[in-house]
Amino acid sequence: MPEAARHSSEPGTRLPVPVLVLLAWIVPGFGHLLLGRRLRAAVFFAVISVGFVIGLALDGELILPHAGDPLSFLAAIAGVGNGLLFFVARALNLGQGTVTAPGYEFGNTFLLTAGMMNLLLLLDTYDIAVGKKDW
Amino acid sequence: MLLDHLLLMALDALLIAVFFSFLWKRDRHERWRYFWKVFGALLLGAVALGWLMYPFPRG
Repeated sequence: MPEAARHSSEPGTRLPVPVLVLLAWIVPGFGHLLLGRRLRAAVFFAVISVGFVIGLALDGELILPHAGDPLSFLAAIAGVGNGLLFFVARALNLGQGTVTAPGYEFGNTFLLTAGMMNLLLLLDTYDIAVGKKDW
Repeated sequence: MLLDHLLLMALDALLIAVFFSFLWKRDRHERWRYFWKVFGALLLGAVALGWLMYPFPRG
């Protein structure tokens, strides 16, 4: 990894880029906050958290990988993409998913889109940190 | 519990449109324009797709 990519080129952020990206994954928007993008951090946090909570409220499932079901691996990646929200919900026994619930499929959609949006934020955090994106 | 399909779809489209307008656009004016474009495309696209699937049998 080149020197510029190892540490953030952003002034005021001395964190190594991998740590920054890891923190961005754990809490949605946290990477942007550490890079001084406060408004975007707040918007990203709100959008992802609201989507996640709606997904849980609709009886969606935080899908875990099942042997013999390749798509469940992709869904699990998207679910884990929610970071800390995923682990807290699992610890509280939430997101078990009720297949017969009327909102089950919608709940899954909200949970998966929230996770994938957070994964996209990791890439954005990386781009800002290494100076590929200047805003 | 709110379970109206169209409303839930609109809510998901709203969240996605807000997210991408802040992810990809820099100034306020650009963000608004992009937001309406994405929101409209998701909403109208889903309704159009629903109509296109209408003739197909469910089973």
